[in-house]
Amino acid sequence: MQTMTRSESAMPGASVIEGRHVGKTFGGGSVIALEGASFDVTKGSFVSLVGPSGCGKSTLLRLIAGLIDRTSGQLTVHGVPVTGPHTDVGMMFQRATLLEWRTAVENVLLPIEIQRSVTAADKARAMELLAMVGLKDFAFSFPSQLSGGMQQRVALARLLQTGADILLLDEPFGALDEFTRERLNLELMRIVSEVGATTLFVTHNILEAIFLADEVMVMTPRPGRLARMVHVPFARPRTPELTLTPEFNALVAEVRDILGTH
Amino acid sequence: MSDALGKAGFWVVRLLPHLMVLTGLLAIWEWLVAAGIITSILIPRPSAIIASVFRLYVTEGSIYEHFFITLAEAVFGFLIGAGVAIALAVSSSLSESFARYVTPYAVVLNVTPGIALTPIIIAWFGYGMGSKIALAAVLCFFPIFVNTLTGLRQTDPDREELFRSFGATQRQVFTQLRVPAALPLMFAGLKIGLTTALIGAVVAEFAQATAGVGVLMARSSFSLDMASSLAALLSMTLIGLILFYSMELLDDRIVFWRRDARMSAVSRARARAWADGTGK
Amino acid sequence: MAVAADIAAAGGPSLRQRRMLTHAAIFFGLVALWEIGSRAGWLDPLFFPRPTDILASFWRIYVTQGNIWYHLFVSLSLVFAGFIAGSVLGIGLGALVGMNATVRRFLQPYVIVLEATPRIAVAPLLIAALGFGVTSKIAIIMLVCFFAPFINTLSGVINVDRDRLELMRSLGASKLQTLRKLVLPEAIPVIMAGERLALTAALSGVLVAEFIQRDKGIGTLILTYTRNLNMASAFACIFTLTAIGFLIFKGMEVLDHRIAFWKNEAGLRRVSTKRARGWAEKGGAVHV
Repeated sequence: MQTMTRSESAMPGASVIEGRHVGKTFGGGSVIALEGASFDVTKGSFVSLVGPSGCGKSTLLRLIAGLIDRTSGQLTVHGVPVTGPHTDVGMMFQRATLLEWRTAVENVLLPIEIQRSVTAADKARAMELLAMVGLKDFAFSFPSQLSGGMQQRVALARLLQTGADILLLDEPFGALDEFTRERLNLELMRIVSEVGATTLFVTHNILEAIFLADEVMVMTPRPGRLARMVHVPFARPRTPELTLTPEFNALVAEVRDILGTH
Repeated sequence: MSDALGKAGFWVVRLLPHLMVLTGLLAIWEWLVAAGIITSILIPRPSAIIASVFRLYVTEGSIYEHFFITLAEAVFGFLIGAGVAIALAVSSSLSESFARYVTPYAVVLNVTPGIALTPIIIAWFGYGMGSKIALAAVLCFFPIFVNTLTGLRQTDPDREELFRSFGATQRQVFTQLRVPAALPLMFAGLKIGLTTALIGAVVAEFAQATAGVGVLMARSSFSLDMASSLAALLSMTLIGLILFYSMELLDDRIVFWRRDARMSAVSRARARAWADGTGK
Repeated sequence: MAVAADIAAAGGPSLRQRRMLTHAAIFFGLVALWEIGSRAGWLDPLFFPRPTDILASFWRIYVTQGNIWYHLFVSLSLVFAGFIAGSVLGIGLGALVGMNATVRRFLQPYVIVLEATPRIAVAPLLIAALGFGVTSKIAIIMLVCFFAPFINTLSGVINVDRDRLELMRSLGASKLQTLRKLVLPEAIPVIMAGERLALTAALSGVLVAEFIQRDKGIGTLILTYTRNLNMASAFACIFTLTAIGFLIFKGMEVLDHRIAFWKNEAGLRRVSTKRARGWAEKGGAVHV
């Protein structure tokens, strides 16, 4: 698996990720994690992947990240087929996976350290990012001194430091309590639009999926498939009151429907 | 029947590549010595080692006495050391004061290299098996003590609260909750203790003894019969393996809830007993 | 209310002080009983050398005759030399084997066999083959010091958090980078535990070697004193080893707290302040 380098930025409205019948089986074909998904993701959009366990949403994310190889279909990022992890694409997991012997800012700088040597500019940017996620005063704290929510914010800053313009998030706030999760979701939306990144967000919470996204990939299990792409037309920036409107709830019902019949 | 064959077959398949590699390595070793490439006295031919093993175990049969003496020394030393260690650990867990005032002496025992006591123990217990058993007991005391005490001390506040809500007495909390919860750690300590006891027995034999695998090994070494010496060493390995796997077996049977297969077996046994009316 | 508490506190000794007193009372009580019993002839001097005699021995071997210093130096220098050589080898090989799955599978049965064998038992063999002297002693110490660091490093390397491994992969890290930045730091606590075991084993190793070779060193000293039924001096040597053992124990604990600083509160705070201070000063590379 080679690491691919940055390619030219695409024009707004263009497809940055294209998948044609992307499939993945495990155990020599005995487990179909994902059955032929076809989709386009446009630059700068926020796409949710929602569905119950076993629908293949995490698998699809990892396929796009280049962490696992697909068994069938084509998958391109910025027009180039995916063969391994690339610097264009950054990922964030449910567990913060920070290195506990490094301070917050050193954790944020980890991706840079791996790619090349760290410059003063990188260090300044790391501090900026920590400020952006609201952790300026905790730059030299260690992960075990931070709460779960704070650790995830450090992970987010680390993700942004990579300069990747495609962000893949696999239920990043799933392990946190409701209040923290809501707050972090709002912050995420703000940061992502500020940075202009294309975002894919995996969740099993329908309301969260619709609230955050421009497009919702509804996925069903046994076998894992992309059932439908649902467009979310609401304007940004979005506020929590949106979830009380009838239009929003109509969409929720629609997605429930798609999931319910499987 | 076919199930047993299947199981045997499974093990053969797993062992075969290892056996083949081992045979290959031994063949290369044999050739290196035979061809005169390796001439060090430290390295005898594998065939000589095997010949020694054959002689000791089959032709002469002289090793059995030594084997069982060393085994007995280790086991008895272990039993004594473990007995005292567990008794002290239980007492310490039941009484905070006892624990507090015993601890410094336990720490002193821990930091002192037990092996330093070998000449003194031999002076006290003589040249026979007694001194070997004593050294084994002294060496294995601390790991068992500290593991058992730690195991008994670990508290699960939720479970203790549960027991109290049933109106359980202190004694019931101890026997029904603390002791079973402590078993995994205790067995970890026992395993370490058993290996340490063997070390004690062997080292005491080196210092002064007339019989035992350690003596056999020392004598062979000093008459430069390296093949027999290594054969004796392998016998020590065999004793070590016997001890280790016996403890594993005991662990598996007593702390049955750590392994799925055993847990299912006990579950079925209890279900049957229940149905039969003997219900435990 | 508060006034009453103040008075109570100022009056008697605190709980901690009372406990220390009890400890001391028990200790000196036992020693006194021992001394009395010895003088009254109830206790066999072979098993219970008189405490005053032990003290006299201490004085003699450390001050008047001063013979223990040489023997301690001899033994301890061998211990440290063998410990460093053996444990470094153990860590190196443990890391190598841990990173390579096929080698690990191949070595597994041999490791099990080695684990069951008392390593120290090879002492006579090594002495007979390498001859009496320093070489065989160091070889024995290296051998006993090898195993625990090897096994612990191996275990530490194998048990690296899977999610973190995936993180490194997603960042495009090379195997060497993953080893340096993730595997080794994460394995440090286990490796330190192995080192502690190795150092204690080293001390035992040198003693066994000296029991067999009987030339010099503290093991030989104990052996000689016991042979001559000078139990008081033998005990004095044993207590010396207790003190050394305790120093090793505390020393390793301090080292552990400093190296694996992230496992304790004080360490975290200390390094956090240090890194904050160093941030502004250092222009280039980041620590670690």
